[in-house]
Amino acid sequence: MNLFVAAFGFGLVSMSVIAIAAVGFTMQFGITNMINLAYGEVMVSSAYVAYYLNKAGISVWIGMVAGALFGSVFSFLLNRFIYAPFMRRGTANLGMVIVSLAVSLMIANLLLPIVGYYPVSYQEDGGGLIRLGPIALTRDQFIVIGIAVVLMLAIHALLTYTRLGKAMRATAANATLARNCGIPTGRVIDGVWLITGALCGLAGVVAALNAGSFVIGNGAAFLITILAAAVLGGAGQPYGAMIGAVLIGLITEFSAAAWSPQYKEVVAFAVLVLVMVLRPQGLLAKRGALAAAG
Amino acid sequence: MNTYYAANLLIYAGIDIIACLALNLQFGVTGIVNFSFIVFQSVGAYAAAVLSMPPDTANGGFQHYIGGYELPFPIPWIGGAIAGGLLAIPVGLVVLRKLRSDYQAIALLVLSVIANTVITNADKFLGGAAGIALVPAPLQDQITPNTETYQYFYIGITAVCVALAFLVVHRVVNSPYGRSLRAMREREIAAAAIGKNPVQLKMAIFIVGGMIAGLSGAILVGFINVWAPSVWLYPETIILFAAIIVGGRGNNIGAILGALLVPVGFEEVTRLLNSNGSLANFGPPGLLSALQWVAIGLLILGFLWFRPQGVRPEPRRVFEGGVE
Repeated sequence: MNLFVAAFGFGLVSMSVIAIAAVGFTMQFGITNMINLAYGEVMVSSAYVAYYLNKAGISVWIGMVAGALFGSVFSFLLNRFIYAPFMRRGTANLGMVIVSLAVSLMIANLLLPIVGYYPVSYQEDGGGLIRLGPIALTRDQFIVIGIAVVLMLAIHALLTYTRLGKAMRATAANATLARNCGIPTGRVIDGVWLITGALCGLAGVVAALNAGSFVIGNGAAFLITILAAAVLGGAGQPYGAMIGAVLIGLITEFSAAAWSPQYKEVVAFAVLVLVMVLRPQGLLAKRGALAAAG
Repeated sequence: MNTYYAANLLIYAGIDIIACLALNLQFGVTGIVNFSFIVFQSVGAYAAAVLSMPPDTANGGFQHYIGGYELPFPIPWIGGAIAGGLLAIPVGLVVLRKLRSDYQAIALLVLSVIANTVITNADKFLGGAAGIALVPAPLQDQITPNTETYQYFYIGITAVCVALAFLVVHRVVNSPYGRSLRAMREREIAAAAIGKNPVQLKMAIFIVGGMIAGLSGAILVGFINVWAPSVWLYPETIILFAAIIVGGRGNNIGAILGALLVPVGFEEVTRLLNSNGSLANFGPPGLLSALQWVAIGLLILGFLWFRPQGVRPEPRRVFEGGVE
C-alpha cells in the first residue's frame, strides 16, 4: 500500500511534467493544424542548453528559463523557415507529418556529434526530502509541481482573458473566418509558436531534471507520452491535454510501481491504443482523431 | 571488386527493392503512411529465423527465443511473409478503421518505437536486445555457404522474389482494383460515395504490403544470419520513405529506382567513406552515420519542396475512349 502512496506522489510530479509538454504540443496542433513530431527533439535540445549552462556553474533554474527561451526561438524558426513555407505550398497534413518527422531526425542527428552518446545529468542535488502527509518528495519535485500549476493557470488566463488568447481560439476554430474578421492570424500563429515553444523548452528541462539523466534518444520517449496525453484529452484541446496528463501521469507511475518502470512508455502506448479504439476523438474533443467529414 | 562484394550489393538491392515496392503500394498508391513498415519486415525476419532454427537449447543454450522448428527452405520464407500479413490484421483493425490519415501515421510511428522497446526488454521472447544469431542460411546443408556457388544461388532466389513481388504489385496497381485504390487516395469520401469500401481496401493493401515486407525480412535474415532490435529502429522506415519520395510516389519503376538510389546508394557511400581511413576518423565518433541521417532528412525535405512527384512521376492515366 505504501508503494502506491509513493507512486501517487511520483504521479503528481510526472503529470506536471507531461502537462507542461502536452499543453504546448496540443496547442500547436489545435491552432496551427501542425502535428509537430519534432517536439520531443526540441525538448531534448532545450534540455542540453540548460545542461551546458549548468555545467558552466549556472543554477539549473536559470538554465530552465534559458531552455524555455531556446525552445521558444527554435520552434518559432522551425515554423518560419520549414513548416510554414511547406504549408503555404499546400502540402497536405500527411505531407506535413513526413516533413516534421524528417526534421526530428535531422535535429537528433545534428545534435548527436555535438553532445555525444553518453547520458548526462544536471548538477542539482534535489534539495532534500519534504514530507507532506504520507507523500515524500524532494524540494525540486515540489517546485516542478508548482511550476506546472502556475503555468496551467497562466494558459487558462491567456486563453480566457487576453485578446491574444481569444484570437488564438478564433484561429483554431476557423482560421479563414478569423482572418476575415480582422484577426491577424499570421501574427497569432507566430505567437502560438513562441508560447508553445517556450512550454516545450521548459518541459524539456523539467523532464530531464525529473528523469535524473538524459540522452538524445529520450526525444522519442517524451513524444510518445505527450501524444498519449494529448490524444487521450482530445487533440488540439489544451484543457483535454491537462486531463490527459493527469491520467497518463498517474497510470504510468502506478504501473511502474505494480509492474516495471521499464514499461512506462508501453503503458502510455496501451492507453493510446485504447483511446484510439474506444474513443478516437478523445475525452473532450468533438472530432479529434476521427476521420474528417469532407 | 570481388564476387562476394558484388553478390552482397545485389542481394541488398533486391531486398530494398522488394521493401520499396511494398511500401509504395501502401504509401504511394493507397495513401497509407505506414511508419511502422520496418516492424513488418522485422516480424518476417524473426518468424523466418525461429522457423528455420533449432530449439534454443541447441548451441549450448546461449540465446533464448521461442519456437525453433528446423523447417526446411522455403517454409521459413513463406512463414515470414505470412507473419507479416498476420501482424497487419490487428494493427490495421486498430489503426485503419476510424482514424484520420495523419493520426494513422502517428499511431504507426508510435507502434514502431514501442514494438522495438518491448522486444528489446523481453529477453526470453526473441533474444531481447542481443537478438538472434546463427540463423541458418537457406539450404545450407545442400550448398556450403560462403562459396561462390552459394552467392549465385542466393542472388537467384532473391531475384525470383523480386520478380514475384513486382508481379503482384504491378497487377494490383494496373487493375480496376488499383484504380479504386488511387480514387480512395485522392478523395476518400468520393470513392466511398461510389460504393468503394475504404476500410476494406486499406486493410487488403495493408495485409498484402505486410506480407511482402515480411518476405523481404525473411530474405535479409537468411543472408545476414542475425537479427536484433538495433537493426529495425524506426528511422530505418524513414530511409524507405525517402526512397519512395525520391523515386516517385505511386510509380513501381520509381520505387525500384528509389531503392537503388537511396538505401543502396547511401550504404555504398558510407562504406566507401568508412574504408577511407582519414575520412573514417574525421570528427567525433559516429559523425559520419549522424550526417548520413541528416542527409536523408534533407533529401526528403528537398524533394518534397522542389520535386514532390519524384524522379519518375506517377503516370497520368487517361481513358482513351473518354468524351471530348
